[in-house]
Amino acid sequence: MDYKLTPIVVSDRGAPAPKKSAPAEHADPLSQQVHRSVFMGKVEDVLHKTVNWGRKNSLWPYNFGLSCCYVEMATSFTAPHDVARFGAEVIRASPRQADFMVIAGTCFIKMAPVIQRLYEQMLEPRWVISMGACANSGGMYDIYSVVQGVDKFLPIDVYIPGCPPRPEAFLQGLMLLQDSIANERRPLSWVVGDQGIHKLEVPSQREQRREERMSATTLRAPNQV
Amino acid sequence: MGKSGASTNGLPGSQHPVIAELYQRFGAARIQYQETLGNVPTAWVSRQDATAVLRYLRQAPKPYSMLLDLHAVDERLRRHRDGLPGADFTVFYHLLSIERNNDVRIKVALAANDLHLPTATGIWPNANWYEREVWDLYGIEFKGHPHLVRLLMPRTWEGHPLRKDYPARATEFDPFTLDNAKQDLEQESLRFIPEEWGMSRGTANADYMFLNLGPNHPSAHGAFRIVLQLDGEEILDCVPDIGYHHRGAEKMAERQSWHSFIPYTDRIDYLGGVMNNLAYVMAVEQLAGIEVPDRVKTIRIMMSEFFRITSHLLFLGTYIQDVGGMSPIFFIFTDRMKAYDVIEAVTGGRMHPAWFRIGGVAHDLPQGWDKLVRDFVEWMPKRLDEYDKAALRNGILRSRTIGVAKYNSAQAIEWGVTGPGLRATGVNYDLRKARPYGGWENFEFEVPLAANGDAYDRAVLRLEEMRQSVKIIKQCLENMPAGPYKADHPLTTPPPKERTLAHIETLINHFVGVSWGPVMPAGEACQLIEATKGINSYYLTSDAATMSYRTRIRTPSFPHLQQIPSVIRGGLVADLIAYLASIDFVMADVDR
Repeated sequence: MDYKLTPIVVSDRGAPAPKKSAPAEHADPLSQQVHRSVFMGKVEDVLHKTVNWGRKNSLWPYNFGLSCCYVEMATSFTAPHDVARFGAEVIRASPRQADFMVIAGTCFIKMAPVIQRLYEQMLEPRWVISMGACANSGGMYDIYSVVQGVDKFLPIDVYIPGCPPRPEAFLQGLMLLQDSIANERRPLSWVVGDQGIHKLEVPSQREQRREERMSATTLRAPNQV
Repeated sequence: MGKSGASTNGLPGSQHPVIAELYQRFGAARIQYQETLGNVPTAWVSRQDATAVLRYLRQAPKPYSMLLDLHAVDERLRRHRDGLPGADFTVFYHLLSIERNNDVRIKVALAANDLHLPTATGIWPNANWYEREVWDLYGIEFKGHPHLVRLLMPRTWEGHPLRKDYPARATEFDPFTLDNAKQDLEQESLRFIPEEWGMSRGTANADYMFLNLGPNHPSAHGAFRIVLQLDGEEILDCVPDIGYHHRGAEKMAERQSWHSFIPYTDRIDYLGGVMNNLAYVMAVEQLAGIEVPDRVKTIRIMMSEFFRITSHLLFLGTYIQDVGGMSPIFFIFTDRMKAYDVIEAVTGGRMHPAWFRIGGVAHDLPQGWDKLVRDFVEWMPKRLDEYDKAALRNGILRSRTIGVAKYNSAQAIEWGVTGPGLRATGVNYDLRKARPYGGWENFEFEVPLAANGDAYDRAVLRLEEMRQSVKIIKQCLENMPAGPYKADHPLTTPPPKERTLAHIETLINHFVGVSWGPVMPAGEACQLIEATKGINSYYLTSDAATMSYRTRIRTPSFPHLQQIPSVIRGGLVADLIAYLASIDFVMADVDR
């Protein structure tokens, strides 16, 4: 309900009469007052947002590398790219202390049980990034010894394409993971009922960035630097 | 033996001293010479004679002390075998003599129903892993081998993947799944059983501790596992376990065209980039009979040396970090980015440019390349001086590495160690100088040497090698020849297009050369190069097809890891970490 506020005029003798103006429209002062002093949202939402904010800005990576991709991942840890800008520089040597693991490289059939064991040793909340063509799908290696994509046995949060992806691509993947974590809903504590994780459905970046990609018309010619 | 003292002149292959020697010693009837490309004299011997011939070469005057390579070929589907002894499988030994500065390849023919031959582990200790690998991938048994079990594939694996009747693609098998039962089974098969390796679990007074380091450990530099038998901090013995990075590159080569295999070579020594392309394309060029123009040679040398620098830089950074110096790696990666600026501008790629082509390179150097290269060669030497001062003369680093994991020249050679690991023991053997290939003979540079062969020397030597690489790059910059960036030859890839619109014949040839790829003449070729980590070689067998019949990739890191137990016994766990760092291996270069 909208109210009109009419100012109280204190008439001082000798003072000029106040200008008559159209009274301004205001919201219910009571509800304004209440909104200013009393929080009307759900505490749960705030808690989730706060916790997610904390989680996404202090992601501790597990120091885990399989092959070439790991070199580009390590490049992003060092000075020129500096993963510390995203709060993800605390590299852990033990899966038990890490928040996320990056499958950086080819997943081999001989290595798969080891990866599975390491994943199991990570504590919830935990996330997995699949980095590079081999981890995403087997990539160039459709060969007897290679698992055709690490998602055959692990749940993956973000896929980073490339062979290997540039360090910038890894950082972008990390930021996408952060966005996804910001919108996540998981139980704040042990509760009765659903213990699951609700994740926001995200459209593929390939679709989302199509316009942007197609609009690039001037590319560097191979005979120039 | 030795009964044919007669002249061996006129017998095939007797222009090679070693073949003449074998004729002398064993008689012409027992040695069959095979014509191959690429300066490796090749002789077939029977299984009965194999051990005697190998032992003779190992002990001959100026001996073949290094077993450079040992592997096998499945000959069953090979059509062009003119004049070769009948064989279903062939085992070959590639031996190298540093004194003679040449090689010899001994081949032994085997029948499919009788797949065994005597082990060579008594002659060269590093035959051990090679024989295990051949058993694993071909199912050929080596009688008398101390412990013939699978090396690359999991223990639970069935079949021998490099056999011609074994499917190549993962998608030809059932999709991979991993349920609890399989997980438990696989984990169980990874359990280390000391008795299997002849180790005891303790003495009467104390139990030994068995420490499983890897396959994922921060200082193992990849998926490498080593099980240590510890008495307190002391390593009594250890067993390296590899195969966690086997990408089947050799099988892959049998189904990719000669051209489309180039990107796979980048990923063998994944820090070596185009250096891997070089060994492969040079071997293919031997098959095709292509002579590349001078500009191509110089461009290839320049880019290869760039990758030697980026690889050695990564080595240096991780090495210093592994012995406790945290900050240099941050500076070093900045230098790597500088090198990548040039590599990206020239090749368009970073780690895996796949930029060399059969008969040339992918395209000419871009305009302005010289400025980028000049910036780099001016930037780098000052930084190297800094690393020398700040890190390599640091007291803690020196005390952790000097005298650690030491081996001498004889040990290095008998274990097949090449590259900086060999030169750190004082052996002056760098293929770029010893047997110049691809144009390195036109450049002035020195081969850095050290004397002690310890973990410290190996690092100092690599730092010096980077200085020499900068020197070579500078010479490339100043003396870049003009001319085409591709040889004028019908078998180059992609094939020359200029004349295709003139006559239908050339158009058809071009179409076939682009779609199926070129057909390389039947034959065998082998190219050894001094790669970033040691001697890398590609031994190609062509059966006159669009694909290789057999591609054997000899990688330097494989024997370097095999040597570990013999060096580190009696050392401490901390020494092992410094030692692993000083080897400079990547697992893709071990397991391929």
